[in-house]
Amino acid sequence: MDDLIAKYSTPQDDFFDEDENSVHFQSTKPSLDLKFSLPPISQPTAFLRAATDDHANPECPIKIAHGTTTLAFRFQGGIIVATDSRATAGSWIASQTVKKVIEINDKMLGTMAGGAADCQYWLNYLGIECRLHELRHKRRISVAAASKILSNLVYSYKGMGLSMGTMMAGVTALEGPALYYIDSDGTRLSGNLFCVGSGQTFAYGVLDREYDYNLSVEDALALGSRSILAATHRDAYSGGSINLYHVKEEGWTKHGFTDTNPVFWKTKLEKGEFSNVATDF
Amino acid sequence: MSNPFSINGGAVVAMVGKDCVAIACDLRLGMQALTVSNDFPKIFNYGDVYLGLTGLATDVTTVSEMFRYKVNMYRLREERDIEPETMANLVSSSLYEKRFGPYFVSPVIAGINPHSQKPFVCGFDSIGCIDFAKDFIVSGTASDQLFGTCESLWEPDMEPEDLFETISQAMLNSVDRDALSGWGAHVYVITKDKVVKRLLKGRQD
Amino acid sequence: MPGFDFSNHTRNAALHARGMPLPKATSTGTTIVGCIYDGGVVIAADTRATSGPIVADKNCEKLHYIAPQIWCAGAGTAADTEFTTSLISSSLELHSLSTGRKPRVVTCMTLLKQHLFRHQGHIGAYLVVAGVDPTGVHLFTVHAHGSTDKLPYVTMGSGSLAAMAIFETMWKKNLTREEAIELCSQAIQAGIFNDLGSGSNVDVCVITEEKATLMRNYLTPNERMPKEQSYKFARGTTAYLKEVVIEKKDLKKYVTIVDLAASGAAADSMEIDA
Repeated sequence: MDDLIAKYSTPQDDFFDEDENSVHFQSTKPSLDLKFSLPPISQPTAFLRAATDDHANPECPIKIAHGTTTLAFRFQGGIIVATDSRATAGSWIASQTVKKVIEINDKMLGTMAGGAADCQYWLNYLGIECRLHELRHKRRISVAAASKILSNLVYSYKGMGLSMGTMMAGVTALEGPALYYIDSDGTRLSGNLFCVGSGQTFAYGVLDREYDYNLSVEDALALGSRSILAATHRDAYSGGSINLYHVKEEGWTKHGFTDTNPVFWKTKLEKGEFSNVATDF
Repeated sequence: MSNPFSINGGAVVAMVGKDCVAIACDLRLGMQALTVSNDFPKIFNYGDVYLGLTGLATDVTTVSEMFRYKVNMYRLREERDIEPETMANLVSSSLYEKRFGPYFVSPVIAGINPHSQKPFVCGFDSIGCIDFAKDFIVSGTASDQLFGTCESLWEPDMEPEDLFETISQAMLNSVDRDALSGWGAHVYVITKDKVVKRLLKGRQD
Repeated sequence: MPGFDFSNHTRNAALHARGMPLPKATSTGTTIVGCIYDGGVVIAADTRATSGPIVADKNCEKLHYIAPQIWCAGAGTAADTEFTTSLISSSLELHSLSTGRKPRVVTCMTLLKQHLFRHQGHIGAYLVVAGVDPTGVHLFTVHAHGSTDKLPYVTMGSGSLAAMAIFETMWKKNLTREEAIELCSQAIQAGIFNDLGSGSNVDVCVITEEKATLMRNYLTPNERMPKEQSYKFARGTTAYLKEVVIEKKDLKKYVTIVDLAASGAAADSMEIDA
C-alpha cells in the first residue's frame, strides 16, 4: 500500500495544475482541499517512523512532543474533562503551559494526547466540519457523529504515522452527556470514564477509587483535579498545571488552569495525603 | 531510552563561594517515566569531603559504598581524615581502574581543605577524568540546564547565605525543565567549622 | 601490579549488545603542537575539554609532566591521556632510578607506543612527546594505535589542520626560542579560533638543556568580561522544609583531632619538579 501511495502522490508541484484538480478526494475524506505532500520514497510511513520514533532511537531528527495525562468522565451533572499541561521532547520539558483541552466549539471539547500537532490540526478541522454540519442541517451535530467523523478520518490515514489519543465530550438533548475515546489506530469507544496518556494508569488509580455516577458537581470537579495531581506526581512526563472543564447541555465552563505546585503542597500539608514525600531528613 | 545515565534520572551541582562551598542534589529515583522514590539523596559524606553521584542508581549506591570502604581504610592506615584533593585522586584512579567496564556515574566532589581552609570542587566523567573548576561543577540528566543557570547566576566570592540562594535557585530552576530529575532537593552549605543542610521545597511534578 | 579491572566489562558488553550507547567520556577535542628550535623544544596546547557539544572545562591542563625535562601534550580521551602519561612517567622515574641516568625521550616514546599498541587503540591517547636528554633535543608524536613520528614541527587533535596551516606557512629553519614560542602560540590560536573542539587559552612549555619552563595560560585571548550587574537573590528567596546545622566543635566532643606540628598542604604534597 505504501508503494501505491508513493506512486500516486508526488510532492506538491503546482506546475501541472490540471492533473491535480482531477484527483479530488471523495465524500468521507475531508471535503476541504487537504492534500499532504509525501516524501518521494517508496515507504513514507517507515521513513516517518524512523525520523520520529524517539523511543527506538533517542537521536531521531524530529522530536514529537509526547507524554500527557488526560481524563474525562461522565456523571449525573454532565462531563468532567481534566488534563495536565506538560510537553516534553525526550527528557527536556519543552513547555509547562500547553492547552491540552481543545475547544471544538462552545458545546464540545476534545482532549490532546500524543502528537500535539496532529491533535490540534485534526480537532480544529473537526470544528470546521461540525460548523458546516450545523449550517447544512440547521441543528447541532451529535457527539456520536462528530466523533465518527474524526475516527473515520484517522482510520483513512492508518499506518501513516498519525499519533493521537483523544476524547470527545459534549452534552446534547438527544444523547445526554456523551463521551467518546478515539485514537489514531482507529479505535472509537463510548464510555463513562477514560484516561489517556503516559500518566493514565495513575489517574485511573485515583479515579476508579472515588468514581460514582451520582457525584455532585463540586465533588466531581475535585476528583478530576485530584486524579490529574496524582498522575503529575508519579509520571515524569506529566506536570505543569491542571486544566479543568465541566461540560453541560448549555455548553462547557472552564474551572481554571491551576499550577500543580500550590495544589500539591496544600493537599499534602493540609490533608495529609502524599505521605510518601518527605518533609524531614 | 536505554542509556544507563538517564534511566533513573538525577542532578547534582556544586559551587564555590567565599571561604565556603555548597553542593546540592535532587531526590528523584525513577524507572523511565515512573517515579519510584522521592527520597533518594545523591550526596554522600566522607569526613571533610562531600561526594555527589548521578547516573545509574545501582552504580550510585555501589560506588558510594565502595568509597565508604576505601575512605575508612585510608583513615585506619593514615590515622587522619582524607582531604578533598586526595579524595579527588582516589575517585579518579578508582574509576579509571574500570576504564573498559566503567560504572555509569558522574561524580562531583565538594569540600574545604582542613589545612589550607581553601574551598575545593571538582567533577569527573565516568572513567575518571578530573575537571578542576574554580566556579561550579554540574552533573546528571539536568546538566545542560544546570550549565545554563550556573553560568548566569554564579559570581565570585559569595557569602554562605548568598551561595545557598544561588545554588538552590540554579538547582530548582534546572530540574523544573528536566522530566527525569527534581521532586525536592538537598543542599549542603559547607564552611570551615559548620555545615548547614537544608531540604528544599521543590515542585513535586 | 597496576592494571585495568575488567569486572564490569561483561555486564556492560551485554548492555551494549542490547543497544545501549557507550558512555560519553570527556574528550580534549583539541589543538596541540610542538616545534623544535635551536637549543630546545616548545610544546603548546589549548585548554578546552568537551563532552559532546558541551564545553566541560574551560581551562584544563593538556600539558603533562613525564620527567623533569620531558613533557607531553595530550589529545583524545582526556582520562586516557592523563593516566597514560602518569603511568609512563612513573615507570620512567623507576627506570632512571635503577639506571642512575637521566630518562631519554626515545625511551619515553617507546614505552608509550608499546603500552598503546598493546591496547589496540582502545586507549584513546594521542600524544606529542617533547624533551631534552643527553642525546639531544627530541620531538615525537604517538598515536592511539601505537604509530609514532619524528618531525621538526608537529600538530595533533581536531585543530591539527588549522595549526599545521600556520606551521606550513610560517616555519623556517633555525628558529630562536622566542620565535618558536610565538609560532607555537600562533598555531594554537589558529586552532582556538577556527576549530570548534578547541578554545579558551594557550598553554606553553619550553624545554632546554638546563630546564623545562611551563607557562600555564601563556595567552588568555578569551577572557570573560565580569558581569556588570549582580543576579544575587535576596536572602530568604528559597523555601525550605527542614534545616540541620552540624558544627565542627560539636564533633570534637566525640573525636580527637591532632594537627601535625609542621603540617600544611606544602609539607604533605609530593615534590615533582626540582
